[in-house]
Amino acid sequence: MQRMKQTTLNVYAWFERRLQLEGPVKDAALHQVPRQTASWWYVFGSAAFTLLFLQIFTGILLAMVYVPSAGEAWRSLNVLNHQIPLGWFLRGLHGWGSNFMVAIVLIHMAQVFLFGAYKFPRELTWIVGVFLLLMTLGMAFTGQVLRFDQDAYWGLGIGASIMSRVPWIGGGLVHLLLGGPIIAGATLSRFFALHVFVIPGTLLLFVFVHVWMVLKLGVNDWPMPGRVVRRETYMEEYHHLAHTDGIPFVPGAFWKDLIFSGAILAAVAVCAVVFGPFGPSGQPDPSIIQTVPKPDFFFLWIYTILSYLPPQMETPFLLIVPLLAIAILLALPLIAAEGEKSWYRRPVAVLLVSTLAVSWGVLTRLGTTTPWSPHMSAWSGDPLPVNRIHDATPLARQGAVVFQVKQCRNCHSVGGSGGERGPALDTVATRLTIDQLRFKVVTGGGNMPAYGKNLSPSEIEALVRFLETLHPANEPPAYDASRRAVEATQAAESAGEASRLAPHPGSTP
Amino acid sequence: MRPLAQVLLACLAALTAGCEHAPGYPGSPIVRPHEVADFDTLYDENCAACHGAKGENGPAIDLANPEYQALVDDATLRKWISGGMPGAEMPAFAQSAGGMLTDAQVSALITGMRTRWSRPSGFSGPTPPPYAQTQTGDAPAGEETYQARCSACHAPSQQQITSPDYLALVSDQALRSMIIAGRPDIGQPDWSHFGPGGKAATPLTAQEIDNIVAYLASLRNPTQATNYAPQQPDATTPAER
Ligand code: HEC
Ligand code: HEC
Ligand code: HEC
Repeated sequence: MQRMKQTTLNVYAWFERRLQLEGPVKDAALHQVPRQTASWWYVFGSAAFTLLFLQIFTGILLAMVYVPSAGEAWRSLNVLNHQIPLGWFLRGLHGWGSNFMVAIVLIHMAQVFLFGAYKFPRELTWIVGVFLLLMTLGMAFTGQVLRFDQDAYWGLGIGASIMSRVPWIGGGLVHLLLGGPIIAGATLSRFFALHVFVIPGTLLLFVFVHVWMVLKLGVNDWPMPGRVVRRETYMEEYHHLAHTDGIPFVPGAFWKDLIFSGAILAAVAVCAVVFGPFGPSGQPDPSIIQTVPKPDFFFLWIYTILSYLPPQMETPFLLIVPLLAIAILLALPLIAAEGEKSWYRRPVAVLLVSTLAVSWGVLTRLGTTTPWSPHMSAWSGDPLPVNRIHDATPLARQGAVVFQVKQCRNCHSVGGSGGERGPALDTVATRLTIDQLRFKVVTGGGNMPAYGKNLSPSEIEALVRFLETLHPANEPPAYDASRRAVEATQAAESAGEASRLAPHPGSTP
Repeated sequence: MRPLAQVLLACLAALTAGCEHAPGYPGSPIVRPHEVADFDTLYDENCAACHGAKGENGPAIDLANPEYQALVDDATLRKWISGGMPGAEMPAFAQSAGGMLTDAQVSALITGMRTRWSRPSGFSGPTPPPYAQTQTGDAPAGEETYQARCSACHAPSQQQITSPDYLALVSDQALRSMIIAGRPDIGQPDWSHFGPGGKAATPLTAQEIDNIVAYLASLRNPTQATNYAPQQPDATTPAER
């Protein structure tokens, strides 16, 4: 035992003499940080760092099986899912790891902003951080493309069409992005190279610079109202603080980082086990039209904004707003390098972050609930509520068939299923009288197509009779008082007429 | 250290062994739409909206009725599914007719319906009249039979199967299928149960059924059925008065 220990120490000493790492590592680990800085608020950066390594590790394992060719990619993911033990779990880890990483990086950024940590002398740390955010998002996007399923295919198609709107060079950019005029094998190779070599390589380099500066400049001091940052005095004040009221980084602050990173890894693993990997959805083939592609969670808000923007605003929005946002982020530490750090004294900053967070939440929520495209198989796939069929007359039942066959359900839901382009029709009869229903179906209006020319009179009659049954049992359908009067006179007339003619057996009222 | 390692190993073993039972374990890969051969998927996606979930309680005929399954042969099923039913609102599903289903998928639907919804005995009672019409029907005679056998339940004010608009949308064959095999899901008896309250009664003969269908067909207003016809506000047929 004793001998072994001695040998180990000797080996260690042999390496240390040559590498001389002990000094810098000790320096980095034991450097003093202000006591209050050892806070739970400062754990996000290290968590992002940990996630990056999870992604690299799982990514390498995935790359051993994944085939970056248009014909094979989709199949190799299914091989991973089903034939390689725990392959699905690995995909789950990588996919959820990516989502967590984007989230943590964003939270980290918001925290740094609110704590004023981007101010002098940490401007460059922030600027490098902005690039890290962009690269993380780039990894998320390129990774989704590597899945090369229907969602990836259409997501990429949308990305390309956004690119193509750039004035003058749009076409060239698309060509560059896709490796040709269309999404094909070359596209996938290109994204594979980006996702596996180009972006991660740059990302690692930037991470190194980022962390280096964090270690060199020290962790940001806890913002105190009134403790104003000035270029001339800051460094001195910081060192004073770190040395009079400081603790060594390890273990003083480090244990919190460790625990939080561990918790995040566990959360990723739990998500992977419980929710499983993402996709692959259907095969990426534009000839398959039975598909409802959905963008990945983090890009949903963009789609929501676009769908609410008037069309002529789309191009300016898409091309100008992102550039502007990045420019503002980059310029921020240069413009506001001095001054108050505490959020008690920076109401605008707090308001900004909360507004952004709330709008992002709302837009994403809208994005998950808004139907992006009509529900294309509702007409042949979604049964109508059974009681509507049972209580109907034969004509109304036939009207239900017309309702299905004319694909009204692509836009209208009944019984909770169907599209949402138009209003749900479960209680439409309480809103519209039979004449109004007929008028609406025939003339359309307000995004509702006019069916007058596409339906025979009998189909219209049947359809309207069916719509008339769509009301709750305890609420009668809407009716037109004047029509009742007319019907009463008509009934009286036809009764008179009927008494003249022999009553016809098959008559209906 | 030892216990921790053991726990970890146990977890890993459990994960590997029970891996296919984890909630996140991915489902089977999504195949191309025209490669789907599973009856339930095909039926739910293409037919359930009109013929009802599980083949009944939809607006169109209940395919799950074993008597209907006994009445109709495979070739006829294939004809209607592939090419649609002229005169009724049954769409064509075969790719050759502009639909989305391959011939193999249509076959899968037919075999699936047979294994699920037909019963070995077929018709338990008397031999039914043939599926398709055999002779030309006689409308006036049909009206009489209708009065005698149907109108008790299909009183003018209740079940308007004599409504020209209704008849404009159903084909003769669809009527025939419903008269012979009935629609148990909505309460229409089969051809041998037209007694009061749907009790067994003297079965209708093939000739009587032909006549009834001819009678109902005579009430149909052909101009109403065609698409794009301008609406005629005073197109009153006898049955509408
Ligand atoms: C392209 C999508 C679309 C299709 C297909 C469609 N509708 Fe509509 N429908 C709408 C929209 C949108 C409205 C709301 C129009 C408005 O604002 O007045 C609407 C309104 C209606 C209304 C009035 C509802 C109300 O509460 O005021 C009825 C009734 C209706 N549709 C019936 C039908 C029927 C029947 C069909 C099939 C023949 C059909 N729709 C097909 C989009 C559609
Ligand atoms: C848009 C509605 C609609 C859809 C979807 C639909 N059908 Fe039909 N189908 C009808 C109607 C209407 C009839 C005519 C009979 C009736 O009115 O009850 C019919 C008739 C039929 C018949 C002939 C009945 C007879 O009288 O012999 C068969 C068989 C049939 N359908 C099978 C299918 C199958 C299988 C599918 C799915 C691939 C399907 N249908 C999808 C509406 C539909
Ligand atoms: C015992 C009562 C009864 C008798 C007798 C009866 N039916 Fe029916 N029939 C029903 C019921 C109940 C329904 C379904 C309820 C509805 O249509 O609202 C129905 C439905 C129908 C339908 C289908 C309507 C649809 O929605 O497509 C047809 C067609 C039909 N009957 C024809 C006939 C004919 C023809 C006769 C005479 C040979 C007849 N029925 C005799 C009770 C009866």
